[in-house]
Amino acid sequence: MSVKIFRWRAIGPLLVLVVIAGILWWLFADTIARRETQKVGTQMLGAKVEIQDLHLDLKNGDVTIRGLTIASPHEPFKNLIQADEIVADLDMLPLTEKKIIIDRIAANGLRFGTPRRTDGRVAAKTGEGIAGRVLLEARQWASQFQVPVLQLATGKLSIDSLDPRKLSTIPAAEALAARADSSRRAWQTAFDGLRLGPTLDSANATLERLRRARVTDLAALNDGRRAIDQLKRARDRVTALERGVKDGAAGLRAGLAGLDSARRRDYAFARSLLKLPSLDAPEVGAALFAPGAITPFERVFYWAQLARRYMPPGLWPRATTGPTRLRHAGEDVRFPKERSLPRFLLRSAELSFLLKGTQRYAGRLTGLASDPALYGRPTLFGATGPQLAAGAMLDHVRGVPEDTAGVTVGGIRLPAFQVPALPLRLDPGDATAQLGFNLRGDTVHARWAIRSSNVQWARDSGLAHTLVGDLIWRTVSGISNLEVEARVSGTIAHPQLAVRSNLDQAIAARLRAVLGEEVAAAERRLRAQVDAFVNAKVEPVRARVTELQTQVLDQVAQQRARVDELQRSLEQRLRELVPVRLP
Amino acid sequence: MFALVKLIQSLLGALHSEGTPGQLAAGIALGSIMGLTPLVNFHNAVVFALILLLNVSFAGGMLGWAVFVPVGFVLDPLFDWIGHQLLFAASLRSLWTTLYNTPVVPLTNFNNTVVLGSLVFALLFAIPLFFAVRWAVTRYRATIGERVRQSRWYQAVTASKVYNVYRLFKP
Repeated sequence: MSVKIFRWRAIGPLLVLVVIAGILWWLFADTIARRETQKVGTQMLGAKVEIQDLHLDLKNGDVTIRGLTIASPHEPFKNLIQADEIVADLDMLPLTEKKIIIDRIAANGLRFGTPRRTDGRVAAKTGEGIAGRVLLEARQWASQFQVPVLQLATGKLSIDSLDPRKLSTIPAAEALAARADSSRRAWQTAFDGLRLGPTLDSANATLERLRRARVTDLAALNDGRRAIDQLKRARDRVTALERGVKDGAAGLRAGLAGLDSARRRDYAFARSLLKLPSLDAPEVGAALFAPGAITPFERVFYWAQLARRYMPPGLWPRATTGPTRLRHAGEDVRFPKERSLPRFLLRSAELSFLLKGTQRYAGRLTGLASDPALYGRPTLFGATGPQLAAGAMLDHVRGVPEDTAGVTVGGIRLPAFQVPALPLRLDPGDATAQLGFNLRGDTVHARWAIRSSNVQWARDSGLAHTLVGDLIWRTVSGISNLEVEARVSGTIAHPQLAVRSNLDQAIAARLRAVLGEEVAAAERRLRAQVDAFVNAKVEPVRARVTELQTQVLDQVAQQRARVDELQRSLEQRLRELVPVRLP
Repeated sequence: MFALVKLIQSLLGALHSEGTPGQLAAGIALGSIMGLTPLVNFHNAVVFALILLLNVSFAGGMLGWAVFVPVGFVLDPLFDWIGHQLLFAASLRSLWTTLYNTPVVPLTNFNNTVVLGSLVFALLFAIPLFFAVRWAVTRYRATIGERVRQSRWYQAVTASKVYNVYRLFKP
């Protein structure tokens, strides 16, 4: 019996299934597209993307999005952008290649930095996906900057307790004392080893015999000459010992000088315990404004790096995290091909947005492409309006990508902030802010500046009743202009941050004038404290070393004098007995 | 519990259906492809259509799908690795580039490491699975199949409504 291959009666149910699928698509296409757009957008940007309504008009190739909200990936209760309506004009044919080509977007009612009720950050909380990794990189990049701490909140110089065990002079003095004792024993042993007593006694006896002898007493004359030779050898031994003692004494004197060096090191160590306030103007500026200046740099760096991940240069296959699903997401690999369309392209976007409540601005974005090498032109953005000039260029067309952005906004209300390390609150009021950023390859140059002519200062109670606090308050409270500029330069791996402001010189000069005396007095107190610990150990050692070298050298000199005296007497007596020197 | 009963019903129904061991094995092999690969993909629509249109065991197809879904979850890291090796193989780059830039083909998600890795694995695995199942069903029917059919619990299981639904699609 032959088995039929096809089950023809199943065609009916299959067609019914296809029709049902078509009806479901027709009914739920907008919802599916909205949810997918939210999902993909959230995954890409690392922050919640919410859409109130999305309508697909496949017949005309239009997509209309209403009520778009993109949360800030950095701030929990703030939106990055909100849009009333976005209308996109899609090319339909590339959709069959899963490529999204948008000829034109018209976006109306864009607003930035609006508040939100829920935390919209995703990458910051999970650290997952490309956005999560880039966010982490940006944080690590920003954490490289060394921000000095201005320690003058109370205006007091703090001295941590000085632990005598941490002073190097005391163990050095103890070691020198032990060395002196050891030297004393060694020299005494060497002195005893000279055995001068018998030599001197024998020489004395010979001298007595010579005094009673006549010129014919040849045996006495020979004994006298032998005694002189013995005395010469004894003198050589004494000289050798004296040399050794002098060398040893020089070593001990060097040890005493080492104690002085150790004491100077201890002074330096004690000074390090003194929490000195910064008195240099650049450090004051960095301490006051660097924490606030790093934030905009970090954010721009995040967006630039994210753009590089999603819009890489070149035509090599590249992988991105796959779609979120119950199964493992895997990686989606793109295979760009010359003279073909990129995976995503936005040819042109007209943006209409609101700043400062009701003022309308216009912007234009062109050439946003997932594969810039295929599109062949950089992404450009520009916006102008009253007190606003902004522009950006993402040039990933060539091998070395270059990202440039610049914005100047005038008349914006900057939030008041607590001045780091000082119980002072600064309200910049209406200010002009500037940001410039250039990332070429891995070399970054960035500048952030704010300028305000109507700053307000508020004083916390913590600053009251302190000398420095009063002075700082008097210094800054009279300043109504604020100019802050921060610059970053160098490679991504080793960036340098420089911050300056018009407050730096004023505050630093005041600090130098007032704290200079206090710093000197504190240093004097510290030196006295170190001396009190050290002198108790060092002075006895110094006295012991001095006494030792004097005593031993005197002893050696006395013995040497006795030897010399005896030798001279013997030689004198021999000359008296034998005036003519015999061969 | 219901799923388990349904699975047992499917298994018993398929084993004792009038279909040949080859029809049952082909159904299970096709169903295994749906189970091993991520479900919502173009190739699974084709596989499902084949299960319906070809004269294979529909119950076998559903059984294969149900059995191999958990296996697919477990083997996902392996599929990811296979897909990664294939998609980044220098010798295959021109093929993938052509396919990626050909209309409709990218809609299959072949450029996803898990999809490609699992599909390649499932296609290769389907061949030995087909022969193994066909041999096993033949042996079952020749040995204990008739005794199982006469047993009370078989009568109880196959008497449920689910079984009736299954009969609509029996080969």
